[in-house]
Amino acid sequence: MSAWLSNPVAIKELRGRMRGRRAFVVLTLYLLALSGIVTFTYLIYSASAAIPGSTNARTTGKALFAAILAVQVFLVAFIGPAFTAGAISGERERQTYDLLRTTLLPAESFVRGKLISALSYVFLLVLVSIPLQSIAFLLGGLSAVELIVSQVLILVAAVTYALYGLWCSAAMRSTLAATVATFAGMLFLLFGIPLIGGAAALFLNLWFATAGSGGGPLTETLALYAGFISAATNLPATLLVSEALFIEENAIFATSQTIGSTRVWLPLPWPLFILFHLLVAYWLYRATVRRVRRVSDK
Amino acid sequence: MTALIELHGLTKRYGDLTAIDDLTLDIEEGAVFGFIGPNGAGKTTTMRILTTLLRPTAGTARIAGHSVSDDPRAVRRAIGYMPDFFGVYEDMKVWEYLDFFAACYDVPTARRAGMIDDLLALVDLEPKRDAFVDTLSRGMKQRLCLARTLTHDPRVLILDEPASGLDPRARIEMRELLRALQDMGKTIFFSSHILSEVADICTSIGIIEHGRLVASGSVAAMLSGLRAHRTVAVRLLPGAADLAEVAAWLRGQPGVVAVSGPRTDAPPADGHADGHADGHTLRLDFSGDDAALSALLAGMVSRGLPVVAFGEEQGDLEDVFMHLTRGPGT
Repeated sequence: MSAWLSNPVAIKELRGRMRGRRAFVVLTLYLLALSGIVTFTYLIYSASAAIPGSTNARTTGKALFAAILAVQVFLVAFIGPAFTAGAISGERERQTYDLLRTTLLPAESFVRGKLISALSYVFLLVLVSIPLQSIAFLLGGLSAVELIVSQVLILVAAVTYALYGLWCSAAMRSTLAATVATFAGMLFLLFGIPLIGGAAALFLNLWFATAGSGGGPLTETLALYAGFISAATNLPATLLVSEALFIEENAIFATSQTIGSTRVWLPLPWPLFILFHLLVAYWLYRATVRRVRRVSDK
Repeated sequence: MTALIELHGLTKRYGDLTAIDDLTLDIEEGAVFGFIGPNGAGKTTTMRILTTLLRPTAGTARIAGHSVSDDPRAVRRAIGYMPDFFGVYEDMKVWEYLDFFAACYDVPTARRAGMIDDLLALVDLEPKRDAFVDTLSRGMKQRLCLARTLTHDPRVLILDEPASGLDPRARIEMRELLRALQDMGKTIFFSSHILSEVADICTSIGIIEHGRLVASGSVAAMLSGLRAHRTVAVRLLPGAADLAEVAAWLRGQPGVVAVSGPRTDAPPADGHADGHADGHTLRLDFSGDDAALSALLAGMVSRGLPVVAFGEEQGDLEDVFMHLTRGPGT
């Protein structure tokens, strides 16, 4: 742990990032914007003068939580990767990369330092939103499980997406190319995959309807698994589906469906999301370290 | 003396282009080695291999006994590298810059504060301790970068064009700094286009052209090896002797191989003659030793020749460089 905290790259980056008024101005503007969103959401949902503990207040609480969660999703999906996309290519462009590569700093420390500095700021933004998020608790309608699972998902997504930006930065020569690749990848992950999944589901429904059958229990089971797995690749889909199953089925880790005469057990998307993203994050970390460590042939 | 930098058969190819061709070179501990050559000769490529940034195609390069290919970490511990072009971080103070690189070289935190003060004193940047790095002048940045190379007290400094782009004052300061580092026992391997500077501070040089080492050795050996004979300039009092007669007499003296002159160079446009650009100086190609040269001078004086100046001319590194390299397109 102390190695992580004493990482020279992380210290340098954080010192630079937190120096002067810029970081505090950004933080203030962010909190003002978040307060505006919370107030706007609260006013819409509490138009009928909700009483704490009543159904209306619970709905308002859930809406506030969802609004702040949406902001957090945006932060980890776009702001974190935006920081890391220029982290390594920027060193090359600034002509400081060779200076670092001739030091004793291991490639792992270099990559970890860049990751820590990018994530620290994103986590700071997530952290300062907690007081606003706690308003949802005051209004009710939010369980501890929902809160914990959502924050763990945000944490895992933040690490994975930041590592994706870092990998792009190590793989591309310029920051512009790395930033374009990072945002293209994030847009595909957040919007492209749900669109493709939705189109595939629509096509399958039409096909089953045309064939005049549901495709049989096996096909239905496979389609259900495919749906859950594809939901687990997407942060908003994982949050929404897991939330729905928490509420409707009172399920935490798994749920069951009866298909034909068989009861099929399905893991909730959130554990799948965590497993899948941690594996991808590990691969991205190793791949980035390999790229940084590589001695040039040119 | 043991060789601290050893290159044996070092070769680097990029497709059909051979950037370094079978380079073999040994540099002893404590030497200040000037690596000179035209643009594109392979100097920077050699330095990038020595600093573990580039993989050689063939051959070996070792620093302090460690192979740059097999043990790059040990090589990095032994060297301090200053590239020809380098960037600085924005939003970083001078002391933070040194502290950051000291941390990257595993210098313990407790030792860093004192070490930073010492380095800033060495490169004369103490008053700029809390200044932001990007506000420093080019010369100050070069000195700071040199201080950075010393944070882990390396045995070898590899400096690529350390004085390039500097004004005359900054260039002199850099030269003095290199002398101080030499006195501290550092082995310095540096490239430069400024030959007078190389001649001033180097103990040995290597000349590279088209990736091949065309000559290497001590500066004195290179200069003496350039000419087969010594060149002696003799200046006589204007109008006091017939130069043609003097030249004829000199040709008959032991050791004198040839006599040329008198010089008929026109004085410079500003009218200030340099003392040699007149019509009263003869140049001798002399093959004798110092005793023979002394006897020649004594003979001239005893014969009553009005000698105003009598001295051996030293060739400079530019002569050596021009003699050994053929320039672009050859």
